[in-house]
Parts: sequence; structure tokens; C-alpha cells
Amino acid sequence: MKIIKSLLAGASLALVASVSQAATSGNTLATVDPEADRLALQSYFQKRFPKVAVSDYVNGIYALDAPSREQWQEIEEFPPYEFDVEEGEELFNTPFANGNSYADCFDNGGIGIRQNFPRWDEGQGQIVTLELAINQCREANGEKALGWKKGKIAKVSAYMAYTSRDNVFDLQIPNDEAKAAYLDGKQSFYARRGQLNMSCANCHVAGANILIRADLPGPTLGHVTHFPVFRSKWGELGTLQRRYGGCQKNVRGTPQKTQGEKFRNLEFFQTYMSNGLVVNGPGARK
Amino acid sequence: MNKTISLVAALMMVSAGVSAQSFDEAFNAQRAMYGKGHSFTFEGQTYTTDHPEEVAAAVEANADNAAKLLAAAKDQHAQVAAVDFGWTLTKNLLKASAKALASGDFRKSMDISAQAQYHARMGMVQYHQSQKEWVMAVPE
Repeated sequence: MKIIKSLLAGASLALVASVSQAATSGNTLATVDPEADRLALQSYFQKRFPKVAVSDYVNGIYALDAPSREQWQEIEEFPPYEFDVEEGEELFNTPFANGNSYADCFDNGGIGIRQNFPRWDEGQGQIVTLELAINQCREANGEKALGWKKGKIAKVSAYMAYTSRDNVFDLQIPNDEAKAAYLDGKQSFYARRGQLNMSCANCHVAGANILIRADLPGPTLGHVTHFPVFRSKWGELGTLQRRYGGCQKNVRGTPQKTQGEKFRNLEFFQTYMSNGLVVNGPGARK
Repeated sequence: MNKTISLVAALMMVSAGVSAQSFDEAFNAQRAMYGKGHSFTFEGQTYTTDHPEEVAAAVEANADNAAKLLAAAKDQHAQVAAVDFGWTLTKNLLKASAKALASGDFRKSMDISAQAQYHARMGMVQYHQSQKEWVMAVPE
């Protein structure tokens, strides 16, 4: 009887807790509060993993799972992305045919600026990711745009991230249009999709550090800080949006367009959630 | 105190237990247990576990019917693709159905079209549901 009572008490508390944690507003432009969202998400992870410092979330799943962290630290002794960063630096410094270079397109010559992306661009009226800015720079200088997911664009992005290490993300939402983009990204993050009926949050909020077959999904907090990443599965460097597409395929959904509005807004939302954390890209992941 | 907690918990469990099962819940449970072609009773009425697309495909297998079903499946797929909520298998199912139709295997084509249309329809259901419910997953 005592066991039954305990189970009943546990069940009632779990029900109450789940209700009290779910949001009932924040789904309209009038009610959405990005800063409250960010703090709530941090608080959620702090409650679940009280021994993990918020600053350690930049290390993804390796902040939560000690055995994985041990393996990763060994990988980081000879970082698999090292040559890519070097190649990215070379690409970054190679002048375009017109004599300009990437440095001419960015603040501070493109050095140490990763933390400012993605950002709301007033002139364009849209969110601009670092990879989009790289390709816009190329096209403005008469060069062909690079493929979005891997190869040269990931290498240039990796180099730019590398020069930004330890800089703190502090994305701004300057107006209602930017807030609408944030809200759209937030909705994308929490909306279930695909035949498996799963959202980003299923794996990377509620499912963080819980086995899905043999994999441990990382927490969304700090997710974006270490991109682009060299993934062992890929055997090469890839961008965040390459991963987005992979995730959507994993839940048997047709992937949305790389660097399309939906993915850029999603990246904006996810990065805003990591405001206050530092850039530590590029990273190495399984 | 313990008694109070137990009472609250028991009331919550009981209220959850007696809440009526919707038709969709009953259908999905029966379908999951028995697959298609099974009969079950819900609130005094008898139903089968067939999806509407399977019912539509249960007609004479001929070129005309197969072509109509494929067109309907493509139309449904276009709707879900327009809202960016398509499922990965649907395109290949549509291709397989078209191939079967071209080779004269009308029954196969119709069965695959039914499956493709079901996927596309469920993608739309998921789209509408996620528009309403996504906020419930946000930690507060």
C-alpha cells in the first residue's frame, strides 16, 4: 500500500510539474519575450543538471556525459578540424578576382566577429547568418556563391569562428520584424514534424542526455557555439544548417531549404538562446 | 498529509481514467493492434481500421482508377509540401506508384498511392496540430 501511495504521489507531482513547466503564452508577437525564454531555458537545464555550469554548455553533450567528454578530449588533442581552419584562413586571405577580399565585407576585417551572427539586417529585412554573409560578400565581388553545407564555405566559416573564440554571443533583437523572425524560429524549434512526429526540442531539450539508440543528444543550450563542426560521421567539416537538414531527415521529414528563411530564423532563435556563452567553434563531434 | 496527497493523486488518476476516449484514439489503438481490415465497435457503432485512402483504393484495379488515385495523392502531397511539412517517404512512394501504373500493375499502383496520400494527409494534420500545440513544449 505504501508503494502504491508513493507511486500515486509521484504521479501527481509529475503531472503538476509538467503542467507548471509548459508555456501558455509567448506564441504571439505581443507576448513573446526572448529574454524570458532564454532564462527559462537556462533554468530548465540548470534544474536538470545542477552540477553543470552554464558556461560549460558550449561543449554540448560533453558537458553532460563524462565518458563522452573523455573521448572527445582525446580527439581534441589532435583536432580533426585543424587543417580545415588553416585552409579556411588561406581562402579567407586570398583576394577575389577584383582585388577585394572577405575582409573588405565585414567589420573588423572579418576577424573576431562570429558572435555577431546571425543578425537582423535592417537593409535586407531578414536574418543574415555568417554563411549567408560570406556568400553575399562573394557575389558582391563578382564571385560565384559557394555550396552551403560543407567544403569551402564551412572552412571559411570555421576560420572566422576560430578567430572569435572566447568572444561572447550577445545577439540583439532591435525591432518587431526581428522579433517576428525570432518567434518564427522558436516555433520551428518546438513544432513536431516528420513521420516520427518529433521536434528539435524533443531531442535537444527534453531528450538531452537521454539515449536514442546508441546516441546521446546534446542540449540546445550552447548548441550553436561550436559550429561549424567536424563530425566523425561526416568525416569532414559541416555547417549548422547542414546539421539541421540531417536532423529533419532523421525524423523522416523533408528537410527545409538550407539558408532559407525558416532555417535562418531557427538559427537566430537558437543562437539567441545561447546569448552569454562564448564562441568555441569549430568543434569536433561524433 | 500523506493521505491528502494520495487522495489528490487518486482523484487525478481516476479523472484521467474515466475521460472519454475519442474516436481517433480508439481507431489508432485498434489500427496499431490489428492493422487494416479489422472491425471494432465504438459507442455502439461498428467501424473498420482502414484509412480513408485505403477505402478509396478498394475499388476495381484498372488504369483509370489507378490514375485518379495517383493524381489525388500528388495533389495532397503538393498541399503538404507547400507548408513545408512533407514526409521523406512520400516522393518515392509517388514514383513507385507511377512506375507500377506505367507497367500495368494497377493494384500495386493503387495501394502505393493510398499510402502516399495517407502520408501527405497526416503531414497536413501534423502541420495544423503543431501550429496550435508547439507552445506547450516551451519550458517556462
